[in-house]
Amino acid sequence: MNALDVADLTVAYGEKPVLWDVDLEVPTGVLMAIVGPNGAGKTTLIRAALGLVKPAAGQALVHGRPYEEQRRLVAYVPQRGSVDWDFPTSVLDVVLMGRYGRLGWLRRPGSQDRAAAHVALEQVGMTDLAGRQISQLSGGQQQRVFLARALVQQAEVYFMDEPFQGVDATTEKAIVELLRTLRESGKTVIAVHHDLQTVPEYFDQVALLNVRRIAAGPVDEVFTEENLRRTYGGRAAFFGRNGG
Amino acid sequence: MRRSSAETAADDISSLLALQLFSDYTLRTVALGSAALGITSGALGTFAVLRRQSLLGDAISHAALPGVALAFLFTGSKAPLVLVLGAALAGVLGTLVVIGVVRTTRVKYDSALGIVLSVFFGFGLVLLTYIQQRPDASQAGLDRFLFGQAAALLQRDLVTMAALGGVALTVMALVWKELKLLAFDPDFGISLGFPMRGLDVLLTTLLVVAIVIGLQTVGVVLMAAMVIAPAAAARQWSDRLGVVTALAAGFGALAGVSGAVLSSEAERLPTGPTIVLCITGIVIGSLLLAPRRGLLWRELRRRRDRGRLRLEAVLQDLQTLELQHPDGGHGHSAAVLSVMSGGALPSLQELERRGLVRRLGDDAWALTEPGRARAEP
Repeated sequence: MNALDVADLTVAYGEKPVLWDVDLEVPTGVLMAIVGPNGAGKTTLIRAALGLVKPAAGQALVHGRPYEEQRRLVAYVPQRGSVDWDFPTSVLDVVLMGRYGRLGWLRRPGSQDRAAAHVALEQVGMTDLAGRQISQLSGGQQQRVFLARALVQQAEVYFMDEPFQGVDATTEKAIVELLRTLRESGKTVIAVHHDLQTVPEYFDQVALLNVRRIAAGPVDEVFTEENLRRTYGGRAAFFGRNGG
Repeated sequence: MRRSSAETAADDISSLLALQLFSDYTLRTVALGSAALGITSGALGTFAVLRRQSLLGDAISHAALPGVALAFLFTGSKAPLVLVLGAALAGVLGTLVVIGVVRTTRVKYDSALGIVLSVFFGFGLVLLTYIQQRPDASQAGLDRFLFGQAAALLQRDLVTMAALGGVALTVMALVWKELKLLAFDPDFGISLGFPMRGLDVLLTTLLVVAIVIGLQTVGVVLMAAMVIAPAAAARQWSDRLGVVTALAAGFGALAGVSGAVLSSEAERLPTGPTIVLCITGIVIGSLLLAPRRGLLWRELRRRRDRGRLRLEAVLQDLQTLELQHPDGGHGHSAAVLSVMSGGALPSLQELERRGLVRRLGDDAWALTEPGRARAEP
């Protein structure tokens, strides 16, 4: 079964379509990059799949069922810049937020949740920083906190919005390592990605998006100069696998 | 615990107050009522401030005025629950109008707040003037909702304030982690399946409650200060949401009690402005003194860092000179070093005190062994 099935997805802000009749199938157990120029609707695709924006038409199914019924299977890593990092809270506290979904109303995180949070922090190499106030983190550390928060959700499908955006080399390596670990344990990762050069190295599937779906599938078949030209209007085609 | 000095000061004030409080019935009512309003608005205001919605509190409190006036006009009653209910309904209506304006027009959030604030407040003033011109005497005192009057607090007001405040704080405690999510990362909350819009409405409702229970004491004009200022002060002292919220509640209570008691002791001193002056004092103190975030601390650290850099520079220069004159032994004058890094004498004296430099003659300085080791790169 596919991890994600997007069918006829159309999203418009006002009159302007951001996504237009997009179909996308993401097989289980792959790392898929969503690439495309600015304003192509990459983030919107993820947000629509997560129910954060209401589509004008179409639907997104997670493991064959609507997202609302499958929340426990899904983890979300928003863009780092989407929150206020001066918020008075600690690294551990942010990671624990990933448990709120399974805790439900009224219940507070307990020792099991804390244990899971520490395991996740270890996976992203942040064990020593659990008690750190989040405003004292570097950009890369902020990103790793968000990844740890997604890990404690213990999901099957991970949606990540630009996980490599503005991070240092160490963090980039750590994230790549993490993505591979996730793939090895059969998880699916769908990540908005900006750096075309690293697509073949980091991901095994790619979706090329520019309001419409240009192409999607295994990187070997789809990440071609021709497809990139159709996606970017010729500007970035030289990054393609056949042209590079 | 660096907080302790502030806490001690607070304890001193409160023990002074306590002496009077338990002897004077009116004063006790005033103090307890002001504490209730300060705790509630301080705690809930923390979320408003962290969500950058400080001005929402201002709009709600101004919007409440016509509600008070209309509640009186329709019922003829001045029972606290009736007036507070009127205020709350008007406050909620004002909030809904803000949301409606933002959703349906191109007017931005801050402008919508400004519009609602002034229109509702203007309407409230008109109603208040109308009420005051009516012949019956029972309306006297409604204008205390403008600037607040703590001395007019009665036992029944106190009961209403404490009950409403208690309910609001209990609800806040129950949905604590959901409110934290709402304040920090609402989108993530939606992805987890929490009804974040509903929580937003709930939090705003709690804020309305916190504001209306303070209106009679602080007044609609300045009530927003009790929402914003305690949280702003508390944020200086801690990096934990729980501690910030508790401190904000404490600061709110402290300012509320001291302001209310001061104003009810003095003739014709309006309570709202007095309370606001008290909370302003707390804010200024926090901005200056809080460890790490406080201006004073930052200045001290800056000076310390600069001083250390200077010592290092002089030490390095002295080493450079010694390397240039390997015969050594005769030392180097402060004037030469001053040319290199400016005003070297005080630094040399400090370095001598630390045993890194020794004085060979009147104006001849040389590195000691430890100093030479320190200067090695």
